[in-house]
Amino acid sequence: MADQILDQLRDLLEGQIDFEGQKLAELLVNVALTVVGVVAYFVGYFLQDIKLALYIALAGTAAVFVLVVPPWPFFNRHPVKWLPVGGVTPPANLVVDDKSFR
Amino acid sequence: MYSSIVRLQNTFGFFTTVAFVIAAFIAASDLIAPRTPSVGVIKPTNVQVVRGRPHYYSSKKEEYAIIKFSLDADLSSLFTWNTKQLFVYVTAEWPSAGGSGSGQNATNQAVIWDSIITAPSADHLANLGPIAMKKLKRSAQGKSIDPSRGKLSIKNQRPKYQITHPSGKVAEQEDVVLRVHYNVQPWVGFLTWNQDADFWKWKTLRNNLSKKFTLPAIKKKDEKKAGASN
Repeated sequence: MADQILDQLRDLLEGQIDFEGQKLAELLVNVALTVVGVVAYFVGYFLQDIKLALYIALAGTAAVFVLVVPPWPFFNRHPVKWLPVGGVTPPANLVVDDKSFR
Repeated sequence: MYSSIVRLQNTFGFFTTVAFVIAAFIAASDLIAPRTPSVGVIKPTNVQVVRGRPHYYSSKKEEYAIIKFSLDADLSSLFTWNTKQLFVYVTAEWPSAGGSGSGQNATNQAVIWDSIITAPSADHLANLGPIAMKKLKRSAQGKSIDPSRGKLSIKNQRPKYQITHPSGKVAEQEDVVLRVHYNVQPWVGFLTWNQDADFWKWKTLRNNLSKKFTLPAIKKKDEKKAGASN
């Protein structure tokens, strides 16, 4: 019982996502942070307000962290389909190093 | 991007890259902001030379020039979103008697007054008491930049620093001029001085020299008082 809870907790903290999710996460980070930076710069420049630019950049970055760091369900929509355990039996006449396997 | 820790690291890593690039662009935006500072008036209004000691326990007596001055300047174009504060200072300068070959400074130059003008974005950094701070912040309430702070109109200002020379002699020095300088301290980017030549959109500080004047002879101690004590 305790092991089960610990396993669940570890999974939650580790936050694994599937391969498609990893690709998506990387794209999201690059695009979203770039957009945040560009928006912060131009808003700051046209309003001549450097503090506003700083706050937009920091708030946007915080939002990107929230979007990307936790293992949201949309990162896990393509789980890897493993072969079934023990699904294939070795052939009857298998010989390795002169030893035969039944 | 496999686990949360990796995503945290990668996101933060790219954030630092974005922050650096934006900072570089902010610094570069200074170049396209024209700087057209000008000085209307810089002139000495009252000049005295007195004898004094460099510090309390010194037995050496030196001559100190106390140069009161008036300054009218429009430095408002130096305030952009990237300006943190402006440092304005006035120097007095005069040529050495022996010129550059005499082993002395070719030109003697000493700061007589300076001032820090903060942009509203840096008001909280100003070295002021609570009441003056409140007043300063209220003067630019709701404004992100306040170019009007660059308009200086100072009449008969006492100097902050009384100046002398390594030789201890400054009385009756001829060909003294006052010069206005400034530094722009940006939030990000390079500290810039007033330049000697125009640099694209940055113009030199015009008219920043006073007319030549001569320091007076040492002011005699109040003679009546001296007579009374004898």
